[in-house]
Amino acid sequence: MKRGVLLLLPVGVAFAQQSALDPAGPYAHRIELLGAFFLGLLGLIFLVVIILALLSLTRRHRGIDQEPLEQNHRPSESTERRLTRTVGIAAAVTVLILLGLVVISVSAGKATSTPGNPDPANALVIEITGTQWWWQVRYPNEDASRIVVDANELHIPVGRPVLIRGTSNDVIHSFWVPNLQGKRDLIPSHVTTDWMQADHAGRFRGQCAEFCGLQHAHMALWVIAEPPDKFETWRAHQLQPASAPADPVRQRGQQVFLDGACALCHAIQGTAAAGQVGPDLTHFGRRSTIAAGTLPNNKGNLAGWIADPQNIKPGTRMATVPVKAEEMQPLLEYLEGLQ
Amino acid sequence: MNSAITTQAASADDVAERGQLDSVWKNNPGLVAWFSATTHQAIGKRYIVTAFVFLLLGGLEALLMRLQLASPENTFLGPSRYNQIFTMHGTTMMFLFAVPVMEGMGIYLVPLLLGTRNVAFPRLNAFGYWMYLAGGLFLYGAALTNTLPDAGWFAYPPLSGPEFSAGKGVDVWAQMITFTEISAMCVAVELVVTILRMRAPGMSLNRMPMFCWSMLVQSFMIIFAMPAVMITSTVLLLNDRTIGTHFVNPAEGGDPLMYQHLFWFFGHPEVYIIFLPALGMVSSILEAHSRRGVFGYPALVLSLVGNGFIAFGLWVHHMFATGLPQIGEAYFTAASMMIAITSGIQIFCWLAMLWTGRLQLTAALHFVFGFIFIFVMGGMTGVMLASIPLDLQAHDTYFVVAHFHYVLIGGALFPLFGGFHYWFPKFTGRLIGERLGKISFWILFIGFNATFFPMHAVGLQGMTRRIYTYGADMGWGTANLLSTIGAFVIAIGGLVFIVNVLRSLRQGTVADANPWDAGTLEWAADSPPASYNFTHLPVITGRYPLWTAKDSRGIVTGLRPDRREVLITSLMDAEPHHRSTLPGSSIWPLLTAAGLAIGLVGSVAAFSWYFVMTALGIIGFIGWFWPRPPLDVK
Amino acid sequence: MTTARDIDVSQLPAYDISNQSPLWWGQLMMCLIEGSMFCMLIAIYFYLRLSVDVWPPPGTVLPGITLPSLALIPLVASCAGSYWASEAAKKGDRRGMMLGLGLNLALAGVFLILRGLEWKSLNFTWASDAHGSIFWVLLFLHTYDILADLLMTAVLLVIVMTGRYGEKQRIGVHVDSVLWYFLVGIWIPLYAVLYWGPHILGAPR
Repeated sequence: MKRGVLLLLPVGVAFAQQSALDPAGPYAHRIELLGAFFLGLLGLIFLVVIILALLSLTRRHRGIDQEPLEQNHRPSESTERRLTRTVGIAAAVTVLILLGLVVISVSAGKATSTPGNPDPANALVIEITGTQWWWQVRYPNEDASRIVVDANELHIPVGRPVLIRGTSNDVIHSFWVPNLQGKRDLIPSHVTTDWMQADHAGRFRGQCAEFCGLQHAHMALWVIAEPPDKFETWRAHQLQPASAPADPVRQRGQQVFLDGACALCHAIQGTAAAGQVGPDLTHFGRRSTIAAGTLPNNKGNLAGWIADPQNIKPGTRMATVPVKAEEMQPLLEYLEGLQ
Repeated sequence: MNSAITTQAASADDVAERGQLDSVWKNNPGLVAWFSATTHQAIGKRYIVTAFVFLLLGGLEALLMRLQLASPENTFLGPSRYNQIFTMHGTTMMFLFAVPVMEGMGIYLVPLLLGTRNVAFPRLNAFGYWMYLAGGLFLYGAALTNTLPDAGWFAYPPLSGPEFSAGKGVDVWAQMITFTEISAMCVAVELVVTILRMRAPGMSLNRMPMFCWSMLVQSFMIIFAMPAVMITSTVLLLNDRTIGTHFVNPAEGGDPLMYQHLFWFFGHPEVYIIFLPALGMVSSILEAHSRRGVFGYPALVLSLVGNGFIAFGLWVHHMFATGLPQIGEAYFTAASMMIAITSGIQIFCWLAMLWTGRLQLTAALHFVFGFIFIFVMGGMTGVMLASIPLDLQAHDTYFVVAHFHYVLIGGALFPLFGGFHYWFPKFTGRLIGERLGKISFWILFIGFNATFFPMHAVGLQGMTRRIYTYGADMGWGTANLLSTIGAFVIAIGGLVFIVNVLRSLRQGTVADANPWDAGTLEWAADSPPASYNFTHLPVITGRYPLWTAKDSRGIVTGLRPDRREVLITSLMDAEPHHRSTLPGSSIWPLLTAAGLAIGLVGSVAAFSWYFVMTALGIIGFIGWFWPRPPLDVK
Repeated sequence: MTTARDIDVSQLPAYDISNQSPLWWGQLMMCLIEGSMFCMLIAIYFYLRLSVDVWPPPGTVLPGITLPSLALIPLVASCAGSYWASEAAKKGDRRGMMLGLGLNLALAGVFLILRGLEWKSLNFTWASDAHGSIFWVLLFLHTYDILADLLMTAVLLVIVMTGRYGEKQRIGVHVDSVLWYFLVGIWIPLYAVLYWGPHILGAPR
């Protein structure tokens, strides 16, 4: 309800896909409730203070004539005593309210930083590494053949707590998916952790929340929450290497990719490309965006991105690799076919 | 009939004495004399005017930012330029405007409020100003050589480190801080000594005006907090960037998080350093415009002191997202909420004054009401941000931008403007236009809320800070457009204020010494004050010397009028202790500042320039302290 | 015309050379500033130490304790010269001021020579690692402050030697001792941290 109040403000249509006011999981929901409570209580206190201040204007000429103000510049003793009592009570009430807010806050803090069901074996661990200006995603596993590597998109199963373990390769970034949880900084040489959980399926946008340089504004990510069975299907599919292209156009495209500079930075499982500098492209065709959420993933945008990355994301680390006109279409077909 | 403590002539002796005092205290005309001035009125005014210029520059930067953000995917500013501009905006407002303007008001008003003739160290005062000016010129000079910093006003490493911010931009930023911190520390040292040892006889500490208490607490805060930022910027960051130390380089044992701890150990007290003088101004304005003495003097003083202490224990609330241990973080939640108590008590005392006073609804009082509205709202969002779960959603979004503009503009800028309107007759000898003053207030108030209120919502709806643009499908366009329009309304309000000032300077009503019939000492001096402030220093018997009956006032006699002589009094009860001759005009503060500036600017290129700085500093010291007649004083 | 409430201060001294002088209080504030700075540097030292397992990092040979411990003697003794000069300043004793300042400078000079020797013996630089950085910065800043104070003391000595000085310069001599006591005093905890710290805190945790 409080959220509705805020949405009435002239902020245009709320884009529910990156909003702390549209929680989709228990942590974000708890935080929103806490926020609504704080807003209500503190908003009320604010109104009381403002009304008191404004009411004083109406008292300007009332009842003070008998006070010795003009001579001593000080009201009577009884007035000062009454004021002292009032201010004292107000101060005491303030202390109590704030103490209460501290307790409520610390308790909510505990609730939003530990997994709902205390079953660590059930928790899914995802490692996120921030790098200028994209996100490395890795699903670790003791069995090396079951490690999933991706970029800029996470899939998580609905209803299961997910532990995000984060760090950075270069500068400080911050991992934030407001629909699901508060943010957590990604700091080089540190590992930070936070819990995340979605309660219903959906696509939730996140964005880097710590100034990290030129393209901090274009470092977004997507979290796709899906039912557990669909999640397992996705994960199984991610473990597959890229299948060899069947048609000649895509084969040509793969050749362009492997012969050119692309493979120096990018990896595609099942080919010779094993570059670790840029995002893994094994299942690139299934991603909804390019360049960390900057553009929708389609052939037109991809062509523009490959041809001139600096035009779309000035300062990006992606090299401008010259691609001949007749090579572009096969390359696009190849990449989009990496499903 | 005893002579009043005003400068109204009572006898031929008085006229002669005033003539002598003036010839000793006044600043002579001429360029060299202008650069040699060491009187507190001159230096205070310089601080205020210079800070105001930087306010305009910072405001221009804000308008440029708002133009870029007014619509999604705008191409008015590219990312590099935008990052430079928001860095300059924050740096200018925090280091080159907010602290210096409060210092300037303090330097001008404190000696008048205490009943003395200058600050304790006049040449140090001048030196501090020149260092401040040099720092500002250094930073903006970088624009001419295209070496603007672009890592934010806080410059977190590793982004601001040698690997990710090549070039001299961040070096310039880091060393500029040295200039402004040296300046602030000079002012802090002299204000502490002035307030503690140069009060008029009888002005015991519990009779001292609230503004002086706020400057005293603020000065101690500067003494303990500013070294942290000098270490952070110069010792840690600049050295890592220029000579290869490893303080914040994780590869060799350094830690970027350590930078944040040290920066915010300074950074949080910094905002209270800006805020506390404003609180003193609110008390001053309310005393005069509610016609009653301050309510709850001991509570107000203890709250100021409490603010000063607690402010040092809050800094981790800027780092809640970094994954520090929860137990430690919970302490900072409690402390961050508790400081609302000391601020709240002050608000309650002022409400008590509003309720029981006879209010004069001047322009200055409008700004006090604006302060209450805006600052209390900012305080409420502050309590929200103190709660870690809420902070983890709101941190580094426009919600925080809204919060700190509410507390800084509401808590510091509005009282400052109130103070400008209130003390205008004292500074200039004319009353400021009341009608235009109220109009400028309303435009500023409406513009401010239009700009910053929408940011609360848009921040919670996902808009992060320090982004040069955003997608059209994010739904943030309308709010941003509204904020941009509001920003231009603020600019109009600022223009109206400037027009008001200029008009009033030319054709405002000439003011006598005490147009408000206020009770504190500055209103005993002429408007504007004579170069020597008071013909005779007053003897104080209460908190409001001008509200005590004329025949119970006393004056100090026996100070030499042929020297810049002042009275040094004891700490607690201001009993006269000894006389002291203050130095007159001197060019050495400027020369010393110039020497240090050369060295500090050079140090950005090579470390050896620190030794040049030392050598030039020693030369300055020699000129400064070399004996000058008269050598033996009786 | 004066009344009973007026106060006549013409009989008060025209200056004061003691800890009641404003300049003395200003110098005290300066010491608070410098003290804050050094405390923060000590905090940095411990923060860095607690961030790693091995301290100091491998490859660092810690400087021997003998030289810096020996250097404490002339350093602390130089305070006697400072005290002598500051008391002489109170009494207007020119000879006492010169001898006191001179003794202070001489003993401080011995200290600086010993420190220079110690410095040459270090096998790491500020750019070696985090320990090297904090060690060098602490040592450098303290040495720099000592040198700066000595230069100022030398200027005061020259002024006194010219014989043409007034009460302001005597206040200066008196107050200079405050800064010197501070710089000597702050060195004790710094010395403990830099030289005894690694031994007490242990190398591997």
